Amino acid sequence: MSNLSPDFLFYSFSGILVFSAATVVVAQHAVFALLFLILSFLCSTFLIFLLECEFLALIFLIVYVGAIAVLFLFAVMMLNTKLQDLSRNLLKYLPAGLVFGLSFFIPVFYQISNSFKSFVLKNSQTIYNIGWFDLVDSISEMESYGQILYSYFILQFLIVGLILLLVLIGIVYLINTFNAKQTTNQSTFKQLSVKSSFFSK
Amino acid sequence: MSFSNLIELKSFSVFPEYFIGISILYILIVLVLISYSVSGLIMQKPVSECIGLILLLACYLILNDDLLLTYTSVSLYSSSCFYKAISLDYFGVFTKFTVCFFSSIYFFIISDFLKNYKLTSFEYLLILLFAVLGLILLCTSNDLLTAYLAIELISLASYILAAFKKTSSYSVEAGIKYLVTGAISSAFFLFGSSFLYAFTGSIYLTDFDWILFNDSWVISDIAVSESFIEIGLTLIIFSLFIKLSLAPFHMWSLDVYEGSPTISTFFFAVITKLSFFVFLVRIFHTATLYYQDSWQFYVIIIGFFSIFIGSFGGLRQKKLKTLLAYSSISHMGYALLAFSAFSTFGVEMLVFYLVIYMLAGLSIWFIIVSLKLNTKLYFNKLNKELGDFILLKKTNPALAISLALILFSIAGIPPLVGFLAKLGVFLSILQVKYYMIALLAILCSVISTFYYIRIIKILYFENFIAGKLYFPITTNKTILFSFSVLFLIFLFINPTFLYLIIQKTVWSSFSSGLILL
Repeated sequence: MSNLSPDFLFYSFSGILVFSAATVVVAQHAVFALLFLILSFLCSTFLIFLLECEFLALIFLIVYVGAIAVLFLFAVMMLNTKLQDLSRNLLKYLPAGLVFGLSFFIPVFYQISNSFKSFVLKNSQTIYNIGWFDLVDSISEMESYGQILYSYFILQFLIVGLILLLVLIGIVYLINTFNAKQTTNQSTFKQLSVKSSFFSK
Repeated sequence: MSFSNLIELKSFSVFPEYFIGISILYILIVLVLISYSVSGLIMQKPVSECIGLILLLACYLILNDDLLLTYTSVSLYSSSCFYKAISLDYFGVFTKFTVCFFSSIYFFIISDFLKNYKLTSFEYLLILLFAVLGLILLCTSNDLLTAYLAIELISLASYILAAFKKTSSYSVEAGIKYLVTGAISSAFFLFGSSFLYAFTGSIYLTDFDWILFNDSWVISDIAVSESFIEIGLTLIIFSLFIKLSLAPFHMWSLDVYEGSPTISTFFFAVITKLSFFVFLVRIFHTATLYYQDSWQFYVIIIGFFSIFIGSFGGLRQKKLKTLLAYSSISHMGYALLAFSAFSTFGVEMLVFYLVIYMLAGLSIWFIIVSLKLNTKLYFNKLNKELGDFILLKKTNPALAISLALILFSIAGIPPLVGFLAKLGVFLSILQVKYYMIALLAILCSVISTFYYIRIIKILYFENFIAGKLYFPITTNKTILFSFSVLFLIFLFINPTFLYLIIQKTVWSSFSSGLILL
């Protein structure tokens, strides 16, 4: 265990993250793409754990994996969309995407790799301080978030509330058909007779 | 900060914003209760006028601000509240007032025409009010987080406004397109902010100024290099240019303007532009002051390119809304030229240009929104083309002459105020000695006059016997409209008071660091 440097975990997780993120773009099957999306969320959660931001990591896990990705998966399975033409489109858009992506990626990558070179600790196990004071007299991460959020960022907190209200109103309007006569009932026969084309092919 | 501190009226500088926010909640509760017992159709007009009144009251509250009452003698006063999240200066107060005032006029204008465009549910007005709240928050926001949230408030409202007509697939398509572009823009903004944060360790614009240029702060000791801030600024500028639909980032705006309901397009084209420029000025002219060399040239190129696209793209255009989208692109290009002059004079001319742009935009969009064909057909065509204006001089001569005047003002023909606005832009760009760009921009301006004058030709000189008949406009709206057209002439005769107000606001807020010209 002593040979396992923290860099090893970091590099392995970020490697899996990059691989799964690339697979999301390339994958032909929508369900596989979504599963790799979930994998990339998981890997980024681990990365945040390595940075010791537990609350953020757990929120990330709960919100993205627990709610959004599963919802996506559910929707993709329900919608039964045909995505056969993706590979042709991919080749069509690849040159422009590569040019723009690389011209964006190279300077950013160059800057970041240049800038943080001096901060990489070669022998990270020798420098290992424990702040005893922090361990004795500390507040939990949740508490500190709350203290900052409700004091320094009170205005931003209110604006976020307004944004949520706006989205709620908009979604309710856009989805609602205001048709009082037609109630939406569950039709069990229709649901059971849907032919699953995803896993048969 | 305790709660009693929060509601202390002495430092209660976001009172107008609180007022608008609380009125949103109140209107929501009351209208939800009413609309389930009474049909929604009848209350469009009163609700719209009520929201106009709310915004007028907010204008009064802005004028009643502490800053104007107590600190009028101190010319260089600028401060902030909410832990530096909101900046208190004359620039913010003036732009907030302008946005509030013009949007209250907007609400008064659209109150009659919501029925024609079949936008009958009250949520529409509520979402518009949300967008106005975001706009006035953006005018005074002093840190990247507040600005991001304000921009999100504006854009989320805009997506819903674009897609509001559920029965029209054009409208839904416009909404989706707007959503996708807006998501990219937000991602750029956040990425750029993270770069700025990585370099400075702060999100407050006033801190950037201090951190970047204070001598005691040795930059060479920091791990990250200084071009971090250039990358961050580039990404933020990308995101804001997408929102302003400047030329290489303009592709979404044509489809969105054409597809979304006309009243929403009115809002996107006229009201939303000023606040983004205010934030651009804040971040580029005060916060990162000495990075001028790294962006000025490119921004001038983008400004000229959008003038070019706006002038040549509109030449063969027959749809009115797309034509005005091109016109808006070229106008944003002129405003960007004044912005990139990087002087107090340039900022003054930018604000002057945008105020005139909003005034002329209100007038011309009023005509487009208000013309309703006098037919019994239920399925009336809502999107107008240039040919719809044929023989308007016979059917409604007053409207025709005022449309001609507004078009001359937008094109920049002398006896109207649009000329002075363009003149100011070219003066500001000449002062920093970009002669060639100014010359080319003037040439493009001449070319863009073609399509404005073509509308006037259609109004007056077509050999058609039968034109189209339109419903007359009500007296209230006519009074409002004639005031805005008269202002276009009056401001040419006496532009001094507007110039003076803008000069005072800009000098008191920005003269500390900028080159004084």
